[in-house]
Amino acid sequence: MKKKYALFPGCLMPTEQYAYELSIRETLPLLDVELVDVEGFSCCGEPMKSVNQLLTVYLSARNLAIAEKHHLDVFAPCAMCHLALSECQHILEENPAMKERINGMLAAEGLNYTVKRQVVHTVDLLYDQVGIEKIKEHVKKPLNGLKIAAHYGCHILRPSEIGRPDDSENPQKIEAILKALGAEPVDYPQKLDCCGAPLLANLPESALTKTGQKLQAIQEQGIQGMVDVCPWCHKMFDSRQTKAGETVAAKLDVPVLYLTQLLGLAMGISGEKLGLELNLSPVEKLQLGDVK
Amino acid sequence: MSIIDLTSMGEPQSDLRKELNDRLTKLQDEISDYCFQCAKCTSGCESHKLLELEPHKIVALLKRGLINELVNSDVIWTCMTCLKCRERCPQRVAPVEILFALKNMAVASGKQIPGKYTGMLQSILSMGLIQDIQQTTTRTNKTLKRDELGLPPLSKPIDVVKFQAGIMKIAMEKV
Ligand code: SF4
Ligand code: SF4
Repeated sequence: MKKKYALFPGCLMPTEQYAYELSIRETLPLLDVELVDVEGFSCCGEPMKSVNQLLTVYLSARNLAIAEKHHLDVFAPCAMCHLALSECQHILEENPAMKERINGMLAAEGLNYTVKRQVVHTVDLLYDQVGIEKIKEHVKKPLNGLKIAAHYGCHILRPSEIGRPDDSENPQKIEAILKALGAEPVDYPQKLDCCGAPLLANLPESALTKTGQKLQAIQEQGIQGMVDVCPWCHKMFDSRQTKAGETVAAKLDVPVLYLTQLLGLAMGISGEKLGLELNLSPVEKLQLGDVK
Repeated sequence: MSIIDLTSMGEPQSDLRKELNDRLTKLQDEISDYCFQCAKCTSGCESHKLLELEPHKIVALLKRGLINELVNSDVIWTCMTCLKCRERCPQRVAPVEILFALKNMAVASGKQIPGKYTGMLQSILSMGLIQDIQQTTTRTNKTLKRDELGLPPLSKPIDVVKFQAGIMKIAMEKV
């Protein structure tokens, strides 16, 4: 059965992390997921949580209300967005006074939040909605036991009390997807370590040190590459890998791909269509298809 | 409308401060009952080794009512928001949420907002997103933007004036 979602792009993916968006748009429709582009979305509000939490709830509610107007469930590929939208739903469902207050503000744009709709992220969309069997059916070029580390990202795992796409302490869905693609997921002690991105706004050096430490650990364990599922994590691990290496005085050369890029390659889609030319880490080391 | 309206307006700001103060006092009451200083939060804290953040000490200081001291310290801005402390606390205290409330309080009290937060907020106010379309560099040093990659137009607020009016209500609202 075809699933249909409003693609909620957020800020970072559609303004600079184009490879994620390209690979999402290439792969998911082939797996019977219909992505609907909706006008008028804004920031999810999560980046403003330290400044004003009410603004975060408001912006998330606004985006949910737009999806509601179109009678659509929401697919948020960014871990931060997914947390903001899920937490907002949780707050508004638990707290009718807050719901009323937020709706009062939403009226300025003729919007209204009434019902809780499904909000999915890449990981649960692929694992729970599409399903491992269907993914296997679409694999044309299995990944031949490539050793890959999964990086989930903090915001899709916690806090579990509001419901997150995977288990907070022992997530395994990305590993299951990697296996379906013919890769060999590798367990590593730093799996749950943060990418550092939330500190980019005010302590960029420390943020990059965090990134460098995790990549260095992966490199030292001889793992061939890493996949991630969040534009913030990817900005750190891939786009800023060289800089991250400088902070830990190491020459880092870990190929980092979005899970959807690796999925696409295994499905036989060209690297170009999946935005591989935008990855700045040494993805050519994986010797996959036409990736140079 | 500028950032000033949201962060340091005369009257609405005092409402915001009152609301935040209520929230912090409530948190203080709750943790006084629950937190037993086991420091499990600090043992898994992502910012502990790197930036010396000790969430259990933040909780202890709040418990003692030292809200002003906390609001004025730089340490509250070192949290990586990994949410591990909230997940792992055996007593369901959430240091990360205390830190958010403290940072919000610092902003509402007119303290200088560190780093790029101001820029992101201004961008949200002017076009709805933390940044506009960026040029990106390929592996072969070409520069590209989203339309050159065949991606559809950016989704962003259509009527910016109405969008700002909604946000304005947050700044103006009487609690
Ligand atoms: S906040 Fe929770 S984990 Fe931290 S010291 Fe208190 S009881 Fe222990
Ligand atoms: S959310 Fe902040 S305080 Fe809590 S464990 Fe993570 S970095 Fe430490």
